[in-house]
Amino acid sequence: MTATLTTCPYCGTGCNFYLLSDDDGRLTGVEPAGQHPTTRGQLCVKGWNAHAFVDHPDRLAVPQIRRDGELQSADWQQALDLVHDQLQAIAEKHGPDSLMFLSSAKVSNEENYLLQKLARAGYGTNNIDHCARLCHSSTVTGLVETLGSGAMTNSLSCFDETELVFVIGSNTTEQHPLIGSRILQAKQRGAKLLVADSRKIRLAKHADLHLRQQNGSDVALLSGMMRQILRDGLEDRDFIAQRCENFAAFAEKLESYTPEYVAGITGLEPEQVIAAARLYAEADRAMIVYAMGITQHSHGVDNVRAISNLALLTGNLGKPGSGVNPLRGQNNVQGACDMGALPDVYSGYQNVADPEARKKFSTAWGCELPETKGLMSTHAIEAAATGEVRGMLILGENPMLSDANQGMVKKALERLDFLAVIDIFPTETAAFADVVLPASCYAEKDGSFTSTERRVQLGRKAAEPPGLARTDWQIICELLQRCGLKSDYQNPAEIMAEIAALTPSYGGISHDRLQGHGLQWPCPDKTHPGTPILHIDRCTRGKARFSPVDYRAPHELPDRDFPFLLNTGRSYFHWHTGSMTRRSHLLDREERFAFVEINPDDASQLAIFARQQVRISSLRGSITCRALVSEKVPAGQVFIPFHFTEGAANALTNNALDPESGIPEFKVCAVRIEPC
Amino acid sequence: MTAVVAKTSIYTPRSCRLLTVEQLTPQEKLFRLQLLDGSELQHQPGQFVQVSLPGLTEAPISIASSPTRTGDFELGVRKAGSLTSALHSLQPGAQIGIRGPFGRPFQMESLRGKQLLLIAGGCGLAPLRSLIQYCQDCRDQFASVQIFYGARSPQDLMFRRDLDSWQIDDNFSCRYTVDNKPADSCFDGETGLITELLNEVVLQPENSCAVVVGPPTMYRPVIAELRRLGLTSEKQIMLSLERQMRCGIGKCGHCSIEHLTCCCDGPIFWLEEVEHLRGAL
Amino acid sequence: MLKSLKREDLLRLLETLAEQYDLQVPLKLPDGTRQLGRYGSGELSLCGPLLQRKPTSLLFPQAELLLSINPDGSVEQPHPAEKPLALFGLERSDLAAIAFLDRFFLCEPADDIYQGKRENSLLIGLTGFAGENSAYLPPAGENCDLELIATADGWLGCAYSAAGKTLLAPFPDSEAKERTEIDQRAAEPKTDSLLKAASRLLREDKVPDAFWQEIADRCILCTGCNLVCPTCSCFCVQDRIRDGKTERSRVWDSCQLDAFMREASGHNPLGTEALRTRRRIHHKLVADVERWGEIGCIACGRCDRTCPTGIGMFAVVEEMINQFG
Ligand SMILES: Cc1cc2nc3c(=O)[nH]c(=O)nc-3n(C[C@H](O)[C@H](O)[C@H](O)COP(=O)(O)OP(=O)(O)OC[C@H]3O[C@@H](n4cnc5c(N)ncnc54)[C@H](O)[C@@H]3O)c2cc1C
Ligand code: SF4
Ligand code: SF4
Ligand code: SF4
Ligand code: FES
Repeated sequence: MTATLTTCPYCGTGCNFYLLSDDDGRLTGVEPAGQHPTTRGQLCVKGWNAHAFVDHPDRLAVPQIRRDGELQSADWQQALDLVHDQLQAIAEKHGPDSLMFLSSAKVSNEENYLLQKLARAGYGTNNIDHCARLCHSSTVTGLVETLGSGAMTNSLSCFDETELVFVIGSNTTEQHPLIGSRILQAKQRGAKLLVADSRKIRLAKHADLHLRQQNGSDVALLSGMMRQILRDGLEDRDFIAQRCENFAAFAEKLESYTPEYVAGITGLEPEQVIAAARLYAEADRAMIVYAMGITQHSHGVDNVRAISNLALLTGNLGKPGSGVNPLRGQNNVQGACDMGALPDVYSGYQNVADPEARKKFSTAWGCELPETKGLMSTHAIEAAATGEVRGMLILGENPMLSDANQGMVKKALERLDFLAVIDIFPTETAAFADVVLPASCYAEKDGSFTSTERRVQLGRKAAEPPGLARTDWQIICELLQRCGLKSDYQNPAEIMAEIAALTPSYGGISHDRLQGHGLQWPCPDKTHPGTPILHIDRCTRGKARFSPVDYRAPHELPDRDFPFLLNTGRSYFHWHTGSMTRRSHLLDREERFAFVEINPDDASQLAIFARQQVRISSLRGSITCRALVSEKVPAGQVFIPFHFTEGAANALTNNALDPESGIPEFKVCAVRIEPC
Repeated sequence: MTAVVAKTSIYTPRSCRLLTVEQLTPQEKLFRLQLLDGSELQHQPGQFVQVSLPGLTEAPISIASSPTRTGDFELGVRKAGSLTSALHSLQPGAQIGIRGPFGRPFQMESLRGKQLLLIAGGCGLAPLRSLIQYCQDCRDQFASVQIFYGARSPQDLMFRRDLDSWQIDDNFSCRYTVDNKPADSCFDGETGLITELLNEVVLQPENSCAVVVGPPTMYRPVIAELRRLGLTSEKQIMLSLERQMRCGIGKCGHCSIEHLTCCCDGPIFWLEEVEHLRGAL
Repeated sequence: MLKSLKREDLLRLLETLAEQYDLQVPLKLPDGTRQLGRYGSGELSLCGPLLQRKPTSLLFPQAELLLSINPDGSVEQPHPAEKPLALFGLERSDLAAIAFLDRFFLCEPADDIYQGKRENSLLIGLTGFAGENSAYLPPAGENCDLELIATADGWLGCAYSAAGKTLLAPFPDSEAKERTEIDQRAAEPKTDSLLKAASRLLREDKVPDAFWQEIADRCILCTGCNLVCPTCSCFCVQDRIRDGKTERSRVWDSCQLDAFMREASGHNPLGTEALRTRRRIHHKLVADVERWGEIGCIACGRCDRTCPTGIGMFAVVEEMINQFG
């Protein structure tokens, strides 16, 4: 038995474990790393099963090219030539900005870095983005404005020191299980727990106060809490005076958010809003934890601003056990953002519109670089549907299931002149591709990944890729070479050296230094020990900024024809579009069927019984799935996870976008339910 | 020193040929099978086999025919999920794997000479049919045989032909009932719960033995009724407990009830062996 | 038979073993933990804390091929290993766990897949002053073929089987006095009395359902407690079709999962978190006593270490005794 230490491919917690393999090189199991600071010998069920999908017979093992309407095996040379020729031809004919590159939060930092380099330097477009657009783009936009950095301000170890955890819009024990468990442990040791979530999640059972506010009413709730904090004089005046700006304008905006007004919007009692404000503000050290429940709204950025305001108001920033803690979903969504797989920034959030930054990168890469910022992935899909974007390269993403409004995504992918997909499984998206390139999964390559607490750590190769599959960085290098760019990287460590040279926050990071438990960025130089807590004496942007916001209703609310509010998300056992977890026996067995959670009162009113097939329809589409009658959702709301292609939640969701971050409103739309 | 190389293991399925398939109800089919090597299954009533289909693992299915009827064996299968659906799509001539027979059978030595009450609900008639056929073939071994069967609706009645033949068999008494019948049904049999049929039974309690096989919800009311009829001593009520099963040999843990396994210690138990165990009934 | 081995004798013994066996020894892993791995494939770490990966995983692995079914229906067994296994460096609880699994898997009808790995294999205990920072580990006794007991200046070799005796034959005899001194240190660990007390509470039905509900609310269903437990033996079976050939394997399962007993109809005898949490504890402390005459927890502490929310066996046992004892 061989044991290879590596990083979990699922959530952003960043657990480390050993992949165990037998004499034939097959993975036979997982053992958590006993001494790793976030892992501590513990994993969640997905981590414990992370070996299971790796050698699944469905793995893509040969390049495929569409001939006569069908994907057929091809050799690498042919396939890569075709990808390059097509992309280049489209760029020449319709301009570089008719191309779109989708990178992946599942691949390494090195691979993300190379892909944004390929898009910008190779094909001359800033049209590069990845699924952070769908999860935390609101965070990046909002927190960069208020604090100067869009990342989690504190570390996971802070849960051991905090007095209160305020969880809003995060089902932490299911989506970041080993962070959820730390919250439960904090509660056991005596910390307070405040939960704001319309669903009765596990943490709610342990909460000192559970608020079930209407989905989409968070700005009102948070504003009401902040107004109350000011009323009670519980704000941190020194912190506001010394560390913040724009307080007056912000405070003025709060005036109208009386407990009664807030109660009317949120569906809560006025007393609950007051109690929540006091509970939070009376703690000396309080951590706010949030995730998709905050960001995935047409006013996602406003939600994030309100959260940031709340932390600033009470001085919960820059010290242990406090902070604004967005939990990043994918194992490397933080890294993909850090690496500049975004339309407006290079690695380290250096703006493409900034001439100096552009000069730095164009000198390093030896070519001219485009100045206008590129398309967000959500806009790119819309542009593909109208024919403005014509060529697309998708690396390890499955927008057919993961993007809002599946009908439109389908139209967009069909309309493309050329689509290349690099993936490990034949996904719903790959079915539309002209070329499909087989990639190595996390267990078959070396590289670094950045967890939600900004911990950059190594993933290590534990198995050989199937058939002819290659690592993503090798595939991208082939395209870089065809574009006449540097492509002779010997290994990911060399790529990291280039990243470190160009990216101040990663300046001191090298693969050698990442052995052990990794490093938390910013890590500006070779001797810097890393930064567990951000904004200690001053914020990244200097002074922290209060950003006044007003409540805006969600784009589409239930009405007579579509009387239920649809909430979407994930379940504990599956990951995103299910391509890995539905191929892992134990995880699949737990949840084998698409389902909709429906409140018992609603179910009995509609004469729907448990496990019955029901039809759910919105303005955009209609699906069928099994009814799961459960108290977890409030009456009037239904919840569907988006893992299942046979009951795809995103056939229903609304692609109304936040005007600033471009995130779709995954958490609110209106639907109708009928037994079928 | 090297371990003996075995060509098979306890997990190796044996090949069977599917001889005939008969639709019993919209949900259930009867499969007649024969071992490819021509040998007999050599089971006892109440035992089950693990049916294996490539890609779908295995499912435990009771043997629905009596060992006294040699040459082949039968399985009555409800279409319940992935493996059973695949089974339903097979045509005669197909090959399927089986392991077994497994499990503790009906305790024949305790049934001999007794007045038997054989009570089945839903799919439970499949294993009971094996015992009923056995009783038919060895009639002198039992004092009397009364059969009671309940199904949800007329179309859910399994083994209609058998039921009718048992009804006209002089050696048996056989009654069946449905919980509900649709208004437009031409079904002229009895309606009502199976416990209502038991209400009217006449027997000598001290010389009687009941066998109960049915869905989980049936056991408590039926047992209460049997107790009322005077079956209160040990070894008077036998029942079958079914659980999810993966191995059939007491190792995988899926079928356990406290310290017992349904695949080895059961599926047939005496009531007093399991009654006090949490989650058994 | 009692033998005396010098430090350097041990390496000689390992070399001999490696010739005849697939020798698995404690190796040091990059994060500082220890785990069994093939001799020669990493840095030997004879003494130290409990092995992170349960050693029983070499006899009953997390994923294991049972058989393959060819398209024509014929069935193939996986190739047997070339050499039998020798597990070196086990402490008392490891060996007690293997003894527990032996009895479980080998009782009729025997699981011949397990048997194939276990037959002719060799178990070597490593006890005495061989724990973390030379902490004292009580001798393992007859659950192994031979045992090496660390003394101040070497090893005391005790053989319990014919194979063990042959291996130790070349080494000089030792005085029985030394062994007696070692044995005198071995008292019943405190953990045993805790487990017994908890077992009694459960058998006397003193623990109400509300207790299980409260514990279950804290369980995040990671399944770790089952997967790390060296006496847990539950598995499920998976089929994968690769190039027309069906690979049927078994993989570790966990009774903490809802689908563990969920039936095709949706009926689930272990249908609530509270029932499943109760089963995890009850199985070891009551059902195993009923079936095998002894508690099924060998007190290794692994589940308490791996439970992210602090409700492993001993945490629950202590809470139970505090509340109801
Ligand atoms: C002793 C005994 C006797 C029985 N006798 C009969 C009988 O005579 N007639 C009859 O009709 N039924 C009988 N049953 C019930 C029968 O075994 C089930 O209906 C059958 O197992 C359903 O299997 P399925 O694959 O069709 O259903 P599924 O619902 O697909 O599977 C059943 C369970 O197996 C697991 N599972 C199956 N496939 C997968 C997969 N691909 N991935 C993950 N998990 C999976 C799931 O946990 C699921 O809950 C008996 C059961 C027992 C225990
Ligand atoms: S908590 Fe996240 S990182 Fe840790 S094992 Fe689970 S999925 Fe992997
Ligand atoms: S301590 Fe925990 S892991 Fe160890 S044997 Fe007991 S129950 Fe199993
Ligand atoms: S280790 Fe703890 S959290 Fe995980 S399944 Fe077991 S009891 Fe639950
Ligand atoms: S079926 Fe495996 S233990 Fe009973």
